[in-house]
Amino acid sequence: MSLIIELDADGPQVRGQAPERAAPAPPKPANEGHGDMRKKIVPVVKPAAGPSASAWEGGAYVSMQQWLDGEPEGGAILLQPGDDVRALDGRIGNAALISVDFHRINDGRGYSHAFLLRNRLKYRGRLRALGAVTADQVYAMARVGFDSFALRADQKAEVALSALESFSTPYQGAVVAGDAAARRDANARARVRLLERSLTEIAARHERPALASSLSAEDMVVTDVIARLGLPIDVFTLDTGRLHEETLALIAQTEKRYGITLAVHRPDDEAVQEFVARYGRDGFYEGLPQRKACCFVRKVLPLGRALEGRDAWITGQRREQALSRGALAEAEQDAERGIAKYNPLAEWSWADVLAYAGQYDIPMSALYARGYVSIGCAPCTKAIRPGEDPRNGRWWWENQDGKECGLHTNTVAR
Amino acid sequence: MYRYDAVDRLIVEERVAQFRDQTRRYLAGELDEDAFRPLRLQNGLYIQRYAPMLRIAIPYGALSTTQLRKLADIARRYDRGYAHFTTRQNIQYNWVRVEDVPDILGDLASVSMHAIQTSGSCVRNVTTDALAGVAADEIVDPRPYCEILRQWSTVHPEFAHLPRKFKVAFNGAKEDRAATPVHDLAFDLVRDDAGEVRVVVKVGGGQGRTPRLASIIKRDLHWSELLNYTEAVLRVYNRLGRRDNIFKARIKIQVQELGAEEFARLTDEEWSHIKGGPNTLTQDALDRVRGYFVDPPLQPRGEASSRLALGANFRAWKKRNLAAHKHADYAGVSISLKREGVAPGDATADEMDFIADLADRYSCGEVRVSYHQNLILPHVARADLEALYSALDGKGLARANIDLASDIICCPGGDFCSLANAKSIPLSARIAEKLAPDRGGSRRDRDQCVWLHQCLRAPSCRAYRRAWRREGGRGLVSGVDRRPARWPGRARRADRQGCA
Repeated sequence: MSLIIELDADGPQVRGQAPERAAPAPPKPANEGHGDMRKKIVPVVKPAAGPSASAWEGGAYVSMQQWLDGEPEGGAILLQPGDDVRALDGRIGNAALISVDFHRINDGRGYSHAFLLRNRLKYRGRLRALGAVTADQVYAMARVGFDSFALRADQKAEVALSALESFSTPYQGAVVAGDAAARRDANARARVRLLERSLTEIAARHERPALASSLSAEDMVVTDVIARLGLPIDVFTLDTGRLHEETLALIAQTEKRYGITLAVHRPDDEAVQEFVARYGRDGFYEGLPQRKACCFVRKVLPLGRALEGRDAWITGQRREQALSRGALAEAEQDAERGIAKYNPLAEWSWADVLAYAGQYDIPMSALYARGYVSIGCAPCTKAIRPGEDPRNGRWWWENQDGKECGLHTNTVAR
Repeated sequence: MYRYDAVDRLIVEERVAQFRDQTRRYLAGELDEDAFRPLRLQNGLYIQRYAPMLRIAIPYGALSTTQLRKLADIARRYDRGYAHFTTRQNIQYNWVRVEDVPDILGDLASVSMHAIQTSGSCVRNVTTDALAGVAADEIVDPRPYCEILRQWSTVHPEFAHLPRKFKVAFNGAKEDRAATPVHDLAFDLVRDDAGEVRVVVKVGGGQGRTPRLASIIKRDLHWSELLNYTEAVLRVYNRLGRRDNIFKARIKIQVQELGAEEFARLTDEEWSHIKGGPNTLTQDALDRVRGYFVDPPLQPRGEASSRLALGANFRAWKKRNLAAHKHADYAGVSISLKREGVAPGDATADEMDFIADLADRYSCGEVRVSYHQNLILPHVARADLEALYSALDGKGLARANIDLASDIICCPGGDFCSLANAKSIPLSARIAEKLAPDRGGSRRDRDQCVWLHQCLRAPSCRAYRRAWRREGGRGLVSGVDRRPARWPGRARRADRQGCA
């Protein structure tokens, strides 16, 4: 028995064993860029002369014609590419197995056989692909209705198993022809998958990446993915000394929920005292320079310490959050520190964030329920009324331009 | 311009990851050439006569300037500083390295582009009027229909190993600017008396060794059945199309051997089972996809008074290279890529960057690619024409020869393609030389386009040319004589899907 992968209710199962074989010699690179290629190209493989198999686990196969002539109880049919499977209509109820023989990789008739068997003839039993079946074909075969794959002798089960996961939200069906709601659902799934992919890639590419979390809903989304996938990405937060109680409570809640530790970076006491002595504790209300000075002491300097020795950092910034973030790129270079910076939620809308929060039931700051749209220091953020410009939720006494704390400057898109 | 959503992005990213792994296994000797061939072809990668070639899709010919600059960047970093715009709204790089291809595809994904199904025996890049959404004579904007078909056919599990390649085109205008009669499957979008969109379905057109014009098999398909009917055509072709002889495997041969009526009957029979099924298009789906095409808001601009003394050349260019725009103050401006000494459709990276700059300045950041292998700035205010002309003229890109005999449509032929039976580039160069304006050729440069095809044979070509003219096709379609010395008898051993 050859190596067979079967799709069961509880996922793909590997059955049988691959026959022993000698390792193939690695091919020469297809082309070095010189010479006439025609001489080096392997000829097309001729079609198989006969069926690729004669028996299955339960005995000998019968051909379609033999089946139609006799219809043996509990037998298995081996279909050839040229068979008209529609002839089996109403005659396959008691087949134990139907196998479709693929003589060549590029002979696609077997895929239409499977479609017709499943959709027109309503065949619900085991449907197996055999013959020229490679790991790279099983994804399409599974989607068209096969649930059993007798792999070609040189194929590896683990490659086929991972190939079954090739695409998360394929285009056909409701994703293309369905209504807006169907596409919205597909988009929600795709968005999460994109985020998972991008964080997995960041974790693989960098030695010591970290998420800078303000405990905002966006940062909780990123934290949730990091924890759910167990990615080696640290999470830190900046306790400015002026945070809401709700934010501080959420730090503990997050650690408990995910079993991770958030590194908390606090401002330097001396620098804070110096600011208070010069401007007063709430001196930031007096003007932009004062406010920027406060942000600098309480956020920018601690951020610098948090990023010391790191080669990448991640934020939960989104383009629609502020005018200044309208052209935000997903991958940037932090030119000041010479490290990579990622904004994997750049494309997300607030509705996308809420949808994720609902689906994965992530801990959310209690401030949102009270009308806050931006989570920052207590004196500088406030709740807004429904319909009010979200930008009024932070530094509302300032001009609309330049509403950034200074954490996100001096970056270039990559 | 179509804007990707998360579904679009994820499919392209997962496709890159899939092909990266397949290429890695191939280079490590874990995947043999026979198994790798269909995989690389369906990711746009050929092994050509001299080097691997990568073909990238430009759906509906629309490019943002960000995308065009990325194409220039790829030409510089991975190729020899130029690329070739094809006869099917694709772009080709002729000198890439196999091991670089996954990285190139990753770069393309970052600007919402891909090479999926630009080669191989599958449904290829869907093409349409380069002036879709712009042309004054448009009846139905074909782009949402094209995009729906593109999505449905992308990585379709049943139709990835057809007998042969399968090219689809749409036309939604009075003048067919998509060459629909020479496609395997083509749709004319029309309106019935009630204003409802109806689809005329044509099947079995093609060029190559056996040129044929497509036959109409359905005259009044309701648009909601577009995917179901296409599925029926493809299933009939996939099941019954010839697979014994590569030269007889295109659907045109099946239609010819069965007769168009019989083919239509088989299709109708198959269609009767899936009519009204899960792929039936709803108004909601159509509106949603239409909303993904964001066209720039155009302000009234009026005509500018002439400030520059541009003279006869400018007038000739204005007369020849402009297409009527829906907005009377604007025009589509063709930039001819047919220059003496340059293969038709070739552009250097510097030229691409230059044209991107002009498009940002004069055409709302959008460029179109036509099957005539020219670039079009689709939204140029008539008031800006003089300034645009001067800028183009300064770089030798203001040749006023659109649709003239020197506007040669030419696939790369024997100089690159391993299955061509002749070299078409030298022939196009000879024609271009004869018609060069500075040699007094402009008098001979008449209103007829020349279509050179590497695989057309002169005898079949003559009948085809007559049929092409009967269909209202303009110009001269020209094949090449069979010359034994350049006829690779063993062409079948190379990649056969050589045409864009």
